[in-house]
Amino acid sequence: MPDSAAAVVSPTGELSLRVALRAQRSVAVQQFHQGALRVLRPHYLDGSGQVCYVMVNPGGAYLGADLYVVEVEVEAGASLLLTTQSATKIYRTPGSFAEQRMTIRLGEGAELELAPDQLIAYREASYRQNTHITVHPTSSLIMAEVITPGWSPDGASFKYRELRLRNEIQVESDDGTGLLALDNLLIRPPRGDVTGMGFMEGYSHLGSLILVDPRVDQALADELHRLTISYDAYSGLSLTRTLADTTGLVLRSLSNSTGELNRLLGACTGLLRERWYGRAPLNLRKY
Amino acid sequence: MLNTRTSSAFHQLALQQLTDSALPTGAFAHSLGFETYIDRGLVSDEGSFGVWLAAFVGQQLTYSDGLAIRFLYEGVDLGGLDAHLSAQLLPRQLREASTKMGGRLIEIGSEVFPSAELDAYRALVTTGRAAGHQPLAFAVVARSLGVPFEEALAAYLFAAVTTLTQNAVRAIPLGQNAGQRVLRKAHDDVAAAVERVAHLTPDDFGAVSPGLEISQMRHEWQRARMFMS
Repeated sequence: MPDSAAAVVSPTGELSLRVALRAQRSVAVQQFHQGALRVLRPHYLDGSGQVCYVMVNPGGAYLGADLYVVEVEVEAGASLLLTTQSATKIYRTPGSFAEQRMTIRLGEGAELELAPDQLIAYREASYRQNTHITVHPTSSLIMAEVITPGWSPDGASFKYRELRLRNEIQVESDDGTGLLALDNLLIRPPRGDVTGMGFMEGYSHLGSLILVDPRVDQALADELHRLTISYDAYSGLSLTRTLADTTGLVLRSLSNSTGELNRLLGACTGLLRERWYGRAPLNLRKY
Repeated sequence: MLNTRTSSAFHQLALQQLTDSALPTGAFAHSLGFETYIDRGLVSDEGSFGVWLAAFVGQQLTYSDGLAIRFLYEGVDLGGLDAHLSAQLLPRQLREASTKMGGRLIEIGSEVFPSAELDAYRALVTTGRAAGHQPLAFAVVARSLGVPFEEALAAYLFAAVTTLTQNAVRAIPLGQNAGQRVLRKAHDDVAAAVERVAHLTPDDFGAVSPGLEISQMRHEWQRARMFMS
């Protein structure tokens, strides 16, 4: 049973990255990797000083009992764009599960854009992703993610065993630390029908966008809502609670196409990159 | 000392009062997302409402409300649980529904079933250290009355199901007898939820399905609305 199996203690891949502001440019001041995870040489996509790192999994796939541990810190005033080289593929994980644990800390006025490629869960895959994020009330966070079912011989979706993706976002201020948002996704197709009304609503792909920024407000939520309705996807978004004068926004979107979800999320992040950071929409040209 | 039989009769009556759909918490004003499905034409009759209700019981009421009630009974810190609900109820209208009805339940409870535990929760809420969520307010009162956990949970879940069904009877609309058939069918879903809540882990808390959440979120922009959520 995937539920009772414990992941191995020693990580399959480990990555630690600390980014700080040095002479108007964000640079890695500490970097460590081990095993099946590393980053490519950093690059700068524009003149804003934001550094872009691309995470690489040389093995190309997550298998049973794999454990990946990622730690990222963006210090005060620095800006990081973290992406992946290709889709994260979860293959069969018999009797076990693959796991990624990510810890992120953002300092005062720090920016992080987390834009991984889609996660593909193949037949008989079990996967757990735990992301703990701690922000300062003035930090800015944009994270987008797409989850897709992998191809299976009979052409059916939802052949994976279990997907758990949990994001916990804390705000650390002078008044202490508070829980801003808990975004917990659990899809377990063998435990009952997940396809229909009240679950996946007849769709197979899920996109999500999480924002945390003191500039997040209802007017932005209204604007993003208007933006999402022109896409071929079933989307909803809402503001989180407000803590220490910062607010989050969570958008979820169901569709049958990775491309459509990427376009929708790209339109939202494009609007925010321009408005908040004065940067052009992302075009990573990876393929 | 009350003997077991009188004490059981006492908490039975208390539970009946607490879970009566006439309890003035304002629950008649909330669809908790099903109005979005009505608007899309997906919930339109007894059968389709029953499908939505089963999903709501198996997801929302199990992974959020039900698990919060269990943790409270297990002695988990009330302030922490309250914060977890505020963080986990991502659709704004659902979060507001929970604290609006929770606030009313704390008020009513303080008058009719006062206890030190409820006073403590009320103090957290009035000083802004807690939001005052409905499942926790209910659990605090039920626990202070000595209602056993499973009984309290089943009563809470069925009360939620009853109110939602009455709201659906008005909104869809459904016949009164159809509403009763929906309620009878929901017995199995409630029993399954009570069973499942007992086996969940802290990592499961808040794992509500994306479809329900998206529909709850979209309600914010729905033009014609009978309900606040």
